Amino acid sequence: MKKTLLLSTLFCIAAFAVKAQDTVKTTPDAPLIIYGSVDTYYKYDFSKHGNIQTYFGSDQNSVSIGMIDLGLKKKVGKASFVGEMSFGPRGQEQSIPAGGAGDSYHIQNLYVGYDVTDKLNLTAGYMGTFVGYEVISPVANFNYSTSYLFGAGPFQNAGFKATYAFSDKVSLMAGVFNDNWNVYKSNSATPEVSTFGSQLFIAPVKGWTAYLNVLSGKYAGTVLDLTTAYQITDAFKLGLNAARKSGGGALNYYGYALYPQFAVSKAVTFGLREEYFKTKSTNSGPNLGISPGNSVLASTLTANIKAGPLTFIPEIRVDHTKDVDAFVKSDGTTFTKSASQFILAAVYAF
Amino acid sequence: MKNLIIALTCILFAKTVSAQTDSLAFDENNKYIYYQTVEQAGLNKDTLYTRALYFIKKSVTGNKLKLSKADEVLGTLTGKGSFMITKKTLVLAGVGGEIDYSLRIEVKDAKYRYWFTDFVFIPYQRDRYGMDVPTPGVYIPLENAKRKIDAKDVAAYLDKILQNSRQVGSVLKSYMLKISSMPKPKADKAIKKISTKEW
Repeated sequence: MKKTLLLSTLFCIAAFAVKAQDTVKTTPDAPLIIYGSVDTYYKYDFSKHGNIQTYFGSDQNSVSIGMIDLGLKKKVGKASFVGEMSFGPRGQEQSIPAGGAGDSYHIQNLYVGYDVTDKLNLTAGYMGTFVGYEVISPVANFNYSTSYLFGAGPFQNAGFKATYAFSDKVSLMAGVFNDNWNVYKSNSATPEVSTFGSQLFIAPVKGWTAYLNVLSGKYAGTVLDLTTAYQITDAFKLGLNAARKSGGGALNYYGYALYPQFAVSKAVTFGLREEYFKTKSTNSGPNLGISPGNSVLASTLTANIKAGPLTFIPEIRVDHTKDVDAFVKSDGTTFTKSASQFILAAVYAF
Repeated sequence: MKNLIIALTCILFAKTVSAQTDSLAFDENNKYIYYQTVEQAGLNKDTLYTRALYFIKKSVTGNKLKLSKADEVLGTLTGKGSFMITKKTLVLAGVGGEIDYSLRIEVKDAKYRYWFTDFVFIPYQRDRYGMDVPTPGVYIPLENAKRKIDAKDVAAYLDKILQNSRQVGSVLKSYMLKISSMPKPKADKAIKKISTKEW
C-alpha cells in the first residue's frame, strides 16, 4: 500500500511538473543584485612629480588604489532602490563630500524609484549627476584619468526627478535638486531645494544617443551640457562632450572633448580623448590647476584590454596649456606649458 | 502487478517529458533557426490563425513579444520578441544582455509551423546610476558572435535561445490547442426586463 501511495504521489508530481504554461515571463524576477568594481593603478609623471590636476590616478610613481565600489539594487514590481557605497581614495575624499565630523558617508548613489506607468518614472535621493560624459566609476569610463570637464562639473545631485519616455527614441527628465552640487543635504545659508535640472534624450538613428542637459540654480550657477555618442560601425565609436558653466557656485569654464574609439579585436580597443578646456578670466582662482583665463589642450591615448571581467588600461597623456601655468619641469622650479604622464590601471567589474 | 503498471507509467511519462530531440539549426541563409511543424487535426486555418494571433498578443508578459506583421489571407504572422540574459554566480546575479528574435507562424488547415530566427545579442552596460542598460549601437547577430564574444559565452547564449524557443513554442502549442485560451465572449450585462402585467 505504501509503495502504491509513493508511486502515485510520484506520478502526480510528474504530471504537475509538465502542466502547460499559459504565459512566458521574459524578465526574470530580480533578486537582490550585488554589483561593483575594484580598481588599482600605477602612475608615472615624466616630470617626476604630479603635474596634471584632473581627478583620479593622482599618486606619482606609486602602485595605488582607486576604490572598492559595492552596490545593491532590487526591483519588485514598480518599485526599486539602488544603494552604492565606495571605499578608497577615489570613492571617498576624491569624489564625495565628507560628513559633519570629517568622516565619509561612502555613498555614491542612494535612491528609490517608482514606475508610475510604463513611460513615467519618479526617482528621489542622492544620484550620480546626469551632466557630463565621464563618471566616477572606472567601469563606465574608457579612459582611466578623467577630463577637465568632468572635474569641473558636478559629481552628484540630490533631489527628486521625473522622467517621461515618449518613445524608445525620446525622453525628457525634469527635477529639482539641492541648492549646491554634490551635497547630501541642502547647505546654503537658507537651505533649499532650488536647483532645477532637465535632460532631453534623443536617439536620432540606431546607435546614436544624445543628451542635452541643463542644471541651474542661484547657488550652483548654470551648466549647459551636450553629451553624445555614435557607434558608427561595429568597430568605431565617436563620442562628444561640450559644456559651459556660468553664474555662482563652482568656478566657471567652457570646453569640449572628442572621444574616438576603435576596436581592433574583441579584447582590445584603442581610444583617444582630445579635450579643450578654458577657464573664465573672472574666476577667483585656478580650476584644476588652470588659472583664470588660461586654457589647456589635453590629449589622452588609452587602450582597454579585456580579460573577462578584468580590464587593463594603459594610458599616455599629454596636456599643453596656452600660457605657462601650473606645470613644473623635472627640476622642480621651472614652469612649463606641457605635462605628460603614463598610467597602467586594472579594473575588475562584477 | 498494480505497482509495476504505475511504475512503468511513471517511467514512460518521465521519458516523454525529458525527450528533447529538437535543436537549433541553420536555415538556407546560414542563420540560426528553431523550426517546428505541428499537425493539428480537426482545426481549420481560420481557427488556427485566430489562436496564433491571440497568442502573440497575450502570451508573453512584459510586452516583450510584439506583432509586427499579420496576413489573414496567407495565414502568416510575424512577431518581434526579446528576453534577458542573466549573469549568475554563487552569490551574484545581474543582467548580462538581451536576445532579440523574430517569430514567424504560418497556418493551414489542420497544421501550422513556426520558427524563431534573427537572433541578436545586445550586451548591457552599467550606467552612472548603477542600472544595467543596453549598450547603444551594439547589436551582435549570433551568427557572427564568435568574432566579438568569447566562445564559451556564445555557447551559453545559444543554449538560452534554445530553451527560450522551446518554452515559447510550448506555450504557442497550448494556445493552439486550448479553447480556454481564446478570448471569452463578453457576458451580456444588460439587466433583464420582467413584465409584471402577465404571470
